[in-house]
Amino acid sequence: MNYVPGTSSLIEDIDKKHLVLLRDGRTLIGYLRSIDQFANLVFHQTVERIHVGKKFGDIPRGIFIVRGENVVLLGEIDVDRPCDTVLQQVSIEEILEEQRLEQQAKQETEKVKMQVLKDRGLSIPKADNLDEY
Amino acid sequence: MFRFQSLDDDCTLEEEDEGHVEEEDEIDQFNDDTFGAGAIDDDWQEEHKRLAELDERDGLGAGLGGGGLGGESDLGGADLSSSACRLPPPPSLSALGFSSSSSGLPPQDAEDRAGEGDLAESLARLILDADPAIAGVGAAERPGPPPGSSGPGLSALHRLDQARALPQPSSIPHPSQAHQHPHHTQHQLPAGPSTSGLPPPSSMLSYQQQQHLMRRGPAPMGQMNSHSIWENSMGFGPVSVAPGLVTHMEDSPLMSIIKEVGLPKRPPQGRNDEGRDLSERVPPPRSSSPVIGSPPVRAIPIGTPPKQPMSHALNHQIHHPTAVHVRAPVQHRYPTPFPERLSPNTLLNIANSPLCRGPFPPGVGPVLSQIQRAQLLNSQVAGFPRGGPAPPLLPGSGGFRPFFGGPPPPHGHRMGPPPPHGPPNHTPPIRHNTTHLHPQHRRMLTQRMQSRGGDRGRTGGDRRSRDPYSNLMTQKEKEWVTKIQMMQLQSTDPYLDDYYYQNYYEKMEKRQEKETDSSKKEHTTKLITPQVAKVEHTYRPVQFAGSLGKLTVSSVNNPRKMIDAVVTTRTDDEVCWHSVVCEKREKQVWNKRRQILYTVEKMYSLLLEVQDFEKRFVQAPEEDRESLLEQHKNNTVQLCNSLREKEWEDRVSDEQCVMIMSVRKGKRLISRILPFLPAPQAAAVVMAIARNLPALAKKDKQDQVLCWLVEPVSAVIQSLSSSTLTDLLQDLQGSEGQLASVLHNKFGVTLLYLILSEGERMQSSDPNCQLMDDNRWTELVFSVTRELLSVPSSSLSPPLFVPPNLLSLFSRYVDRQRLELLQDKLQISDLSR
Repeated sequence: MNYVPGTSSLIEDIDKKHLVLLRDGRTLIGYLRSIDQFANLVFHQTVERIHVGKKFGDIPRGIFIVRGENVVLLGEIDVDRPCDTVLQQVSIEEILEEQRLEQQAKQETEKVKMQVLKDRGLSIPKADNLDEY
Repeated sequence: MFRFQSLDDDCTLEEEDEGHVEEEDEIDQFNDDTFGAGAIDDDWQEEHKRLAELDERDGLGAGLGGGGLGGESDLGGADLSSSACRLPPPPSLSALGFSSSSSGLPPQDAEDRAGEGDLAESLARLILDADPAIAGVGAAERPGPPPGSSGPGLSALHRLDQARALPQPSSIPHPSQAHQHPHHTQHQLPAGPSTSGLPPPSSMLSYQQQQHLMRRGPAPMGQMNSHSIWENSMGFGPVSVAPGLVTHMEDSPLMSIIKEVGLPKRPPQGRNDEGRDLSERVPPPRSSSPVIGSPPVRAIPIGTPPKQPMSHALNHQIHHPTAVHVRAPVQHRYPTPFPERLSPNTLLNIANSPLCRGPFPPGVGPVLSQIQRAQLLNSQVAGFPRGGPAPPLLPGSGGFRPFFGGPPPPHGHRMGPPPPHGPPNHTPPIRHNTTHLHPQHRRMLTQRMQSRGGDRGRTGGDRRSRDPYSNLMTQKEKEWVTKIQMMQLQSTDPYLDDYYYQNYYEKMEKRQEKETDSSKKEHTTKLITPQVAKVEHTYRPVQFAGSLGKLTVSSVNNPRKMIDAVVTTRTDDEVCWHSVVCEKREKQVWNKRRQILYTVEKMYSLLLEVQDFEKRFVQAPEEDRESLLEQHKNNTVQLCNSLREKEWEDRVSDEQCVMIMSVRKGKRLISRILPFLPAPQAAAVVMAIARNLPALAKKDKQDQVLCWLVEPVSAVIQSLSSSTLTDLLQDLQGSEGQLASVLHNKFGVTLLYLILSEGERMQSSDPNCQLMDDNRWTELVFSVTRELLSVPSSSLSPPLFVPPNLLSLFSRYVDRQRLELLQDKLQISDLSR
């Protein structure tokens, strides 16, 4: 607000903890250190949070530089507020395993669906350019 | 600068006292001897002369020993001169050459005279002299060898001079500088503050350093005009010796030299700032650009982020436009070998410069790395509100306190902790040059910000202060991003681009006016929207003031403008008659042609109507038929009329026909019109054609469409009466030579045959035909045959078709021989045979 009154800018978000959702579905949490005119973001002490069901796991990633066009949404995390989620944090290995299982299940259902459609003579072309996760 | 001092102090601490005392006394004495008590502004040369005369009287011997060492330091020159003046012969003075600029001479002289042995001795002295500690010892020794005799005394003096001269300014290869420097500093001494005011670090090095300090202190730039060579090479060169090496100073003459000389010269501070900040450099004005006409070449593209200045941790000179005579306490003078944190010097300098200048420093950024800067800012901001123990980053906190206490810290870059003494209605620094907000908007924003700041200020500030990685993005970078974003908001038509914003605030304004009293002044404020100046993008060729015309230089961005083709309307006055006439004629021709085309078009449409009439007539119901008929008649009449040039003439105008026929479409038109024309007019048309056949033929060369006319013409001919026919034939023959050209043309030949054949038909079919009534026909035929025979076969163009009864025609009029010839020529088949 200091710098660009009347418009929205990321300047005042600098050095604050943020959560960013990327186009490929990843969720990153880190301290926003630097920006530029394309909203490329530099995150510090980044953690990638994977959610599967009610569980989540944090993978520390260090410094992340995110290209602006890949950001879906970005939100500040209030560190002062008490965290009262129902989510349960698990270890990295566990969450990765869970993720893998989830992906597998999804693929299988997708396969079945395609087969069914094929049997009926329909085919929905897979849109490769969409971000699916 | 204070580094010099620190080194001095270090030297002081470490060296012996006795040597220093001696030297000090001697130096001071010679100071006074040479220059007298107090500063003298005279030219040193005059002074020298005066003293030389004095010294001559006094004699050489006494002063020699004392002058030996004392003159080592920058006073060397004058002292040498003064001591040298004690030598009897004045020529030897000049031979010494210290006063003069030919300074390469003395060392050589010394060498020549002194010999090799002395050289070794002098070199040894050089090394020894380099060290102030030993210098004193040397001074004690020196008076020994050179007694009053001139020769050895001279040599000794030379040696001394050499020894003295060499260590002073620079290494041996630069004797000129060596000699200039002493003079130079002599010159400085009277100009600057008095020497007595100096603290007594008695080493010659420290003395010189003090000289530098003094010199640099008051007017660093002002002394560029004098002795500029020396200034540049030495003046601003910092001694970038790691303090850790100070302890080894006496061991390395090189270090001392470096300390005196400094590293390779640096440009003065003012230029330094501009030179580094390339991204903000203004490109030269267009006319002086070497690439004339092209846009100014930017070495750095517009979108590059601000460059970080080079981070020499030791390069702190930039931050001190004014001398700051502050020294860190001893224990903090030597920074850790790996300064991952800031060195006290750098910190001090940074504390000095950005803080004192306010939130937005003009353009000189600190020379730290990102982390260091961030830490500094963290510590500063953290330090201020607390006012307690110095943050761990800053060693020697006591010394730095005053700098923090003075100016208020910048709060521009950080909205978290408002200064404790900040006024409650303090507005954050909004840059008015980038945005023009509605005043209401601005008020709202400030309120919002203050409330937010007040709520979260303390905790946020604390948190951020504890975060060692904050402020990695510098103020400058933030501004830069903001600037780019602002640029995108510029608009030439705010009501178009940001309609809702404008309208919303207008409404709010109106609402407020209604609610509150209008006596308040703030509601009379008007909304100022930023307007971007509409830059002229039209091409204007590069022109220099005072020059004639335009440049012929062109580039890809600035292509050469074509020769200014100015359209001028010619008047009779200006241009010559001939061209006017020609132009007029051309215009006339064009106009006429246009007219013809227009007429043709009109006639065509009429013709089409006429041609379609029948179809329409058949299709039309009974009631409409009459009207259609009427229309048809009108059309026909109109058609005929159009062939007439003038309204009141009944005849078909020849000219008009020819004109129409000159156009291809016209010919086609005529061929289609002929059937619809009433007989006399059709005949007239055909006659006109016959009459003007050569011309028409010539015009038809390209188009070759005359032959379309054959059919309708033949139809017309067949309806002609004999007299008309004869007339036609006559017309065809026309003037002399016409027939030849007629024969040349296909259509002409065909026409001729048609006519003849028609005549023949008439004759053969109708015995009462009047063709033979007068001899015209016969004569004409005769002439035709004559012509046919005489014309060479090549020029005779084959007709479209050959009527069968030609032969019989010819057989009537010509004898057998000619008939045969004709036959051959015309390739008429002989039916009779």
